[in-house]
Amino acid sequence: MEQETVTRQGYRTVGKPVPRIDGVGKVTGRTLYTDDMVLPRMLHAKVLGSLHAHARISSIDATAARNHPGVEAVVTAAELPPHKKDPSNRRQVIFAEGEVLFCGQPVAAVLAGDPHVAEEALALISVEYEELPAVLDPLAAMKEDSPLVRSPLGEVDRSEERGHVTVNVEQEEAKGKASNTSGQISFTRGDVEAGFGEADRVVEGSWRSAMVHQSYIELHSTIADYDVAGELSVWTSTQGPFQIRDALCQALDLPQTKVRVTPMEVGGGFGGKIYLTELMVAALAMIVRRPVKYIMSRKEDLQAATPSPQVVVQLKAGMKGDGTLTAIQARLIYDCGAFPGAPMLPGCLLLGGYYRCANLGIQGYEVMTNKVSVGALRAPGTYNATFAIESAIEMLAAELGLDPLEARLKNVVEEGDPLPSGQPYPRIGARQCLEAIGDSAIWKERSESRKRPHTGVGLALGGWLGGLQPSTATVQLNGDGTISVIVGAADITGTNTSFAQIAAEELNVPLSMVNAATGDTKTAPYAGISAGSKTTFIVGRAVKAAAEQAREQILAIAANPLEAAPEELEMADGVVRVKGNEEKSLTFARIGTMSTAFAARYAPVMGTGTVAASKQAPGFTVQTAEVEVDPETGIVTVLRYAIAQDVGFAINPLSVAGQMQGGASQGLGVALSEEMQYDEKGRLLNPNLLDYRLPTTQDLPPIEAIIVEVPSEDGPYGARIVGEPSIVAGPAAVANAVADAIGTRVHEVPITPERVLRALGKW
Amino acid sequence: MAKQLISLQVNGDTYEVAVEPHWTLLETVRDELRLTGSKEGCGTGDCGACTMMVGGRLITSCLMLAPEAEGSAVLTIEGLSRDGDLHPIQQAFIDSGGVQCGFCTPGMIMAAKALLDRNPSPTLAQVREGLEGNLCRCTGYTKIYEAVLAAAQRTS
Repeated sequence: MEQETVTRQGYRTVGKPVPRIDGVGKVTGRTLYTDDMVLPRMLHAKVLGSLHAHARISSIDATAARNHPGVEAVVTAAELPPHKKDPSNRRQVIFAEGEVLFCGQPVAAVLAGDPHVAEEALALISVEYEELPAVLDPLAAMKEDSPLVRSPLGEVDRSEERGHVTVNVEQEEAKGKASNTSGQISFTRGDVEAGFGEADRVVEGSWRSAMVHQSYIELHSTIADYDVAGELSVWTSTQGPFQIRDALCQALDLPQTKVRVTPMEVGGGFGGKIYLTELMVAALAMIVRRPVKYIMSRKEDLQAATPSPQVVVQLKAGMKGDGTLTAIQARLIYDCGAFPGAPMLPGCLLLGGYYRCANLGIQGYEVMTNKVSVGALRAPGTYNATFAIESAIEMLAAELGLDPLEARLKNVVEEGDPLPSGQPYPRIGARQCLEAIGDSAIWKERSESRKRPHTGVGLALGGWLGGLQPSTATVQLNGDGTISVIVGAADITGTNTSFAQIAAEELNVPLSMVNAATGDTKTAPYAGISAGSKTTFIVGRAVKAAAEQAREQILAIAANPLEAAPEELEMADGVVRVKGNEEKSLTFARIGTMSTAFAARYAPVMGTGTVAASKQAPGFTVQTAEVEVDPETGIVTVLRYAIAQDVGFAINPLSVAGQMQGGASQGLGVALSEEMQYDEKGRLLNPNLLDYRLPTTQDLPPIEAIIVEVPSEDGPYGARIVGEPSIVAGPAAVANAVADAIGTRVHEVPITPERVLRALGKW
Repeated sequence: MAKQLISLQVNGDTYEVAVEPHWTLLETVRDELRLTGSKEGCGTGDCGACTMMVGGRLITSCLMLAPEAEGSAVLTIEGLSRDGDLHPIQQAFIDSGGVQCGFCTPGMIMAAKALLDRNPSPTLAQVREGLEGNLCRCTGYTKIYEAVLAAAQRTS
């Protein structure tokens, strides 16, 4: 048995860095991902995508493909089984019908036993298109005289967005005249004009962030099977098995008892793997009554998954000479692609939610274009807005001769301060994150850094509010005295390791006695999607409650043979003892046997925890970058990088630091290299990982993670949301460092060499 | 297309396998030998998830045709811990938190092995250079650097 000692705040297991419990499978290649699975008689699906960004489909002729040897079926919209259609919901438009809305939109699928045969047959499908005007730029799309991106929509389904962030604000849907603007929202406070009147400096600008892709290394992968009893089984790489179950049941009119969604190991999700291709694969399996596997190619995934939106932020902000922020006015334009669903709410809320400011005027617009529709990427919609406000704050501080850290500390929000929606913040740690970065080596040594040519240091604040969704968990005592935690939440970040830690803590046993696993939707207790940073925060509470209940049950069983009242007992290391009497004890293994064996007298130990969380625990981050800019080539090199983040309480500091570093690296990708580039016809120019530039080891120095702990009110042990805030501050921090290095500002991310040279007047 | 019989030596075992001439080493090892530890993340040699060693050299197996590997010793992630004990690099990846989603991990560990085979005590800069062909989206690489440096210490 491993040696464990009491660590922080009297805790034994939580708060201690522990390696992931699923590590061995992953380092040996034994962990099964969806594409590693083969089912009997399984067919492979390949999908034909639209060649045009906007066109009418005149005809589809699949005769030659159907006759191709080895092809089992070719399916277009005409051959699909009955299902509920919703033109506003990308997932419920399986294949384009009549009109294609973006390049790569699925038009048909070929099924064959050999994936190469299916691929060959795609080329034999003849689709005749009648091209329509494609609208690609969101600002152009907003103009009165712009062609329409698509036929007008009725009601808009926004269910998935709500899983990521919970805000008590409803969007106004665009009403009246048909337009490409599919949603609007506005927040006002005070009098913006009066606020600008009070200011000693006012800055104004426009900031643009490119469309970027989540770029999980594992591609979208799904297998479905539909049996003669009318039961549907789906194995898929998803963050949200119950969401898929519910959506499939709704679309296919099946009861939720008849659909088993098994969340396979997720090879990276970052918000992009909730629900996308599962309905298509299920429909194909229903047609052929055989298992069907569909693995997107990297090209398809880049062209036709759900990337993060392009956003344009026009912003004006004013500050007094003493650093008091007097007014923020902003228009945020989110390009949602061909279907509504851009995450503009959190962007608008946080743009006006980092600082106390008496006068706000924030307007958000969701605008459709003929590009792939967008989805969530880690704190969706927020890094884009933060890039603008955190650049503007820096500009104001510089113009007023104020220290940028001091200017932020003067205005930063604290508990009780209102969001733009009026909702007050619960306890938060934004100030503590600023102070932590103020103490970091990079920030303290910035005057030394600046002595080197073309080198600069910048910082930025970021945050994320977090989602809320009820969840449940069970904790069981096995016959041999070990503990099993069962949840329905997909483990994408090491949450099952943290759940095992929580159960071990509550039952006072070493971690080695506990395992935690995710079940499928037919066997596991319900959990919300593993998104919105809420899994440990909410499901962790359910695990804690379940473990507490299991503890009571164990003590109740032990009380009888030990001839003591439950409150006279204590437990440690898998042994229940009468307090003050070492002689009288009972092991968990004995209690396990007494409650599971043939003719056992006691009912099995199974604790249940159910939670409906109502209060968020927002997470803030402050990040600082030291960069060097080559004035000849325009190349920006990140020399050093640090992230401070308030995590409330780090249940597993190893995985928490990993989340912080990973999210920060994604922010650096947004800042410096990632951009989905489209030509004038709406075709993606870089649908591969050579031309779509993810950060490599050569781009990223080690990232220093500074864990800040301001306990949340409701999270387990004070834990708050962790996964998402880490991406938010990077683009602004890098932009501020670049401005510090070259004395001029780049207003568009990624900050490519070309954009640097343009800013320097050399292009 | 007519299949051809080839002989592959993978992780010390010899396999006679019928392949179509256009099959890649990756799909042959995954689909025919059912060694699924090596992953496909792009199919164009850009991500490194399919990294194996062939004849002692690091290759992206999605870009190598299976017949090209005939006569060379192929080492995949499954060959690293044959006797049930983890290779020190594997253990270091777990201990340092260098594993998150795990999808890049097999290829990353193979690249780390190739690096440590030729340079048992690399500097941080050499680790960064040695792993540049392998993309990881989860970790930001920091804990992977730490894992490789720790593994170098353990083995030297």
